[in-house]
Amino acid sequence: MVVMAQFLLHGSWWIPLYGVLGACLALPWSLGLIRRSGPRPAAYINLLATVLAVVHGSIVFRTTWSQEPQYLVFHWLRAADLDLSFVLDISSVSTGAMELVTILSLLAQVFALGYLEKDWGMARFFSLMGFFEGAMSGLALSDSLLLSYALLEILTLSTYLLVGFWYAQPMVVTAARDAFLTKRIGDVLLLMGVISLGTLAGSFNFPDLYEWAETAQLPPIVTALLGLALIAGPTGKCAQVPLHLWLDEAMEGPNPASILRNSVVVACGAYVLIKLQPVLVIFPVASTTLTVLGTLTAVGACLVAMAQIDIKRALAHSTSAYLGLVFIAIGSQWTGFALLLLFAHALAKALLFMSVGAVIYTTNTQTLTEMGGLGRRMPATTIAFLVGSIGLEGVLPLGGFWALHLGLNDFWGSAPWLVGVVLLVNCLTALNLTRVFRLVFLGDPQVKTRRAPEVGWPMAVPMVSLTVLTLTGPLVLSSLNLLPAWQDLGWQMTGLLIGSGLLGCLLGSLVVLTRTWSRPVQWTWKFLQDLLAYDFYVDRLYRLTVVAAVGSLSRLTSWLDRQVLDGVVNLMALVSLGGGESLRYTSSGQSQFYLLTILLGVGLLGLGVLWYW
Amino acid sequence: MLILSGLVWLPSLGALVVALWPGAHARSLALGIAGLNLLLTILVLEHFDPGLAGMQISEQWAWIDALDLTYHLGIDGLSLPLVILNSCLGCIAIYSSDREIPRPRLYYPLLLSLMGFVAGAFLAQNLLLFFLFYELELIPLYLLIAIWGGERRGYAAMKFLIYTAVSGVLVLAAFLGLAWLSGTGSFTYAVLLKHPLPLAAQLVLLSLLLVGFGIKIPLVPFHTWLPDAHVEASTPVSVLLAGVLLKLGTYGLMRFGWGLFGDAWRVVAPGLALWAVVGVLYGSLTAIAQTDMKKMVAYSSIGHMGYILLALAAATPVSLIGTVFQMVSHGLISAQLFLLVGVVYQKTGTRDLGVLRGLLNPERGLPIVGSLMVLGVMASAGIPGMAGFVSEFLVFRGSIAQFPWQTILCILGTGLTSVYFLLLINRAFFGRLPQNWGVLPESTWSERIPALILGLIIVILGVQPGLLVHWSEATLVLPPAALSTLSSFSPWL
Repeated sequence: MVVMAQFLLHGSWWIPLYGVLGACLALPWSLGLIRRSGPRPAAYINLLATVLAVVHGSIVFRTTWSQEPQYLVFHWLRAADLDLSFVLDISSVSTGAMELVTILSLLAQVFALGYLEKDWGMARFFSLMGFFEGAMSGLALSDSLLLSYALLEILTLSTYLLVGFWYAQPMVVTAARDAFLTKRIGDVLLLMGVISLGTLAGSFNFPDLYEWAETAQLPPIVTALLGLALIAGPTGKCAQVPLHLWLDEAMEGPNPASILRNSVVVACGAYVLIKLQPVLVIFPVASTTLTVLGTLTAVGACLVAMAQIDIKRALAHSTSAYLGLVFIAIGSQWTGFALLLLFAHALAKALLFMSVGAVIYTTNTQTLTEMGGLGRRMPATTIAFLVGSIGLEGVLPLGGFWALHLGLNDFWGSAPWLVGVVLLVNCLTALNLTRVFRLVFLGDPQVKTRRAPEVGWPMAVPMVSLTVLTLTGPLVLSSLNLLPAWQDLGWQMTGLLIGSGLLGCLLGSLVVLTRTWSRPVQWTWKFLQDLLAYDFYVDRLYRLTVVAAVGSLSRLTSWLDRQVLDGVVNLMALVSLGGGESLRYTSSGQSQFYLLTILLGVGLLGLGVLWYW
Repeated sequence: MLILSGLVWLPSLGALVVALWPGAHARSLALGIAGLNLLLTILVLEHFDPGLAGMQISEQWAWIDALDLTYHLGIDGLSLPLVILNSCLGCIAIYSSDREIPRPRLYYPLLLSLMGFVAGAFLAQNLLLFFLFYELELIPLYLLIAIWGGERRGYAAMKFLIYTAVSGVLVLAAFLGLAWLSGTGSFTYAVLLKHPLPLAAQLVLLSLLLVGFGIKIPLVPFHTWLPDAHVEASTPVSVLLAGVLLKLGTYGLMRFGWGLFGDAWRVVAPGLALWAVVGVLYGSLTAIAQTDMKKMVAYSSIGHMGYILLALAAATPVSLIGTVFQMVSHGLISAQLFLLVGVVYQKTGTRDLGVLRGLLNPERGLPIVGSLMVLGVMASAGIPGMAGFVSEFLVFRGSIAQFPWQTILCILGTGLTSVYFLLLINRAFFGRLPQNWGVLPESTWSERIPALILGLIIVILGVQPGLLVHWSEATLVLPPAALSTLSSFSPWL
């Protein structure tokens, strides 16, 4: 048994490959080469691959729990003096993260079996999910900055294809484009950072980078730029200001992918940052920027979320907000808080999105104002939403509480103003979730919710399982001794946290909600509502600045190319052709004329010779 | 052993056979000869020892002694990948030619001889011999564009011919100057390596070579022939033009410019790096504004050639390996993109991004072609897991210590690459296929297979780059000047 476990431990690099293999095996169906059997075999192949990954991962997790971290080294490429090796870190944290990814992926895929039941592109969806899962579990294990970068890029590509899944719709096309380009901006900046850092430190592996960081001496300007480049990639991946627009638009994609995107995909960027944290210490600018960006996003996204009437977008902005808290945590070097919050947020947000998916599937709408009264008709979905909300908020006793409580404790000593930020985010999130809950599940049934049945087994089973997982999450954590004991909690922090959560809930249940589309009369309120609903008009700002600049530059070079450069070439051709044509008439056939030309030529030559003599 | 000669003369003489063979078997004959050529390439691979730095499998015969024009072929880690690329893309170009092409007994021989002459240029170890092949290759290419091209083929072919003829003249002038100034009167590469010129002479000759090969690569501002030639050429010719012909320029610059004028190269390197940045940004920005898919891919080639120039300017071992990798990966990727654009053009009758919509449609569109296109453009944009990433990474990693700012700006170019290729995918393949287009004719397997094979190679090289690096590493790690002292002991000279 022990031998077997060790064998599987050394083979933990297979786990990311299961998903990729499943995706590749499903390709004949996803490309439409096999049509006779329908798309389901592709789904089953991928599910089987994910089950393998979960089982293998759980054995590895159990084995690593009692052991020292192990490192697997792969030599990928040796070119001249460059030895690119990938190190995989098999520790309890990394395998735990991988286990979370694969379990959530499995649940989301089962969910998709129901959600995409009638979709012709189901096989393609499952293939993409396989890539998604493989890249994420690889990222969890990776202990090499280069490998992590590569996997982040693959995630960017799969996000693009998953958001663009229903590519025939115009909104989806722009959403996919924005998702790819925004993330790509971050990735390209990150690539600059990765290559510079790797060259400076002489290695791309995190342990070597940590060692280098302890003694590194860099000029301040390099430090600042390098630090900013390194955090740019995760900023895009975690949907933080100013690269946050894509997550909200990405909600045009199919819901089962949103489950993963809002829980673990966004967490991947933060995970890389946590890995980089010992290096980031030598870049003070980066840490400050992380805290500032995190604060801006956390507060801004909470406000924006409250003005959304699309159910998925209302929750997606809250994802940005929570990742903002994670950014703050990493910026102030509390990685323990960051990891715990990522874990709690991933479980709760995945559950919320499953519940939302069930609602959308049943009602065929995403607009909050068209919903209501689902509470009695869809009990499992309602419970899932409630548990997810409680798991997210800092209200006793689920994951969110423990994570945020840890954060309050950490910040209290170092930067008390951050305590205020955490409490504000908690309060506003509670307010927003209560608002959504009231609109969707309470009140009178609307046209689209009147005959809504509870979802079928393929969707209900993963939803209920995840509900149970979210409920038991804290128990698992405390059995692993990761949570503080009750008596060590301290009543101040606990009181503040629960108080802020309850205040949010209270406010949320007192706000007057009208389902009719009413606009405020006073211009200040109207302005405020529009400002928040349209995400502070950031997209327009981009269109007016970056997009316009690149567009006009490209038109300018294109004009220069055709008119000026090519124009000169054509002009030269024209002149030489014209010269030949007109010189043609000098050959008249009269010998006197030729003689005169020769004389003139010789005379000129003679003059020239005399002149220079 | 005459295997290197075989690489040159099997296709060139085979061309004669195809031209003279009676009946309508031109295509299958040409395919057979290209296949044999590929087998011969594998044989070369068998004989090639990747551990050796210098020239291998040499063949040498006297030809015109008075001129020191010897028939001297050899292969090293720089030529080998390009020769393989040439053989593979030659097969693919012939296979993907239109079955109903007019005048097949002229068309296929021209393609075959083009392959042979290009191989000759990659293998020639005598400067005059190189020049001979470099010029010879123009004839079939000119005819291929001028006869089987699009509407403005006359203009494009003439422009191409004049440009490259000027390039040839400049290269020849540099070679003659080199032989004369070195005092040896020799055109043998190995001899010239041992007689470096004074710096001033090197600078003059190097600038001639830079413009000469700069036209061929092409570098901004000598590039305007390329978009026209690509737009007018038929798909298989575009594949060869982008995949192999442009590499003649970068190969020449590397072999002769960097190899023979090492001192001058170090002097002009910062300027070259800046030139590379201009090329990358110019090519990428211009590509964004294009609406013709073929033009977009053509301008993207101009941008991607900039990375090669950057890596050559830095000339560190890693960046040089990156150069070769980028030549190969650009050859594969641009070939794949041109093939797919060709299929789209054939099925829809247009390449205009303002008109094309929703080609991914699974029932009425071209879903498999679209999926392969996504793979191709993502490889070109440098997404990891595909060959484009490895080459760009090696280029940047190798150059950043020498030219930090220039490298950073070139990395920006990869971001711009994803912008224009994303526009291409979003406009042509996403969205709704117009109803009035009806059902597009389905792409056949013979149209998909070449792009599929290229896609597979791109992914394999992206995951296992060692497969390619291992062949050229030994050659590129030692600078050629160090090699010349080595080579005096080796038996093949």
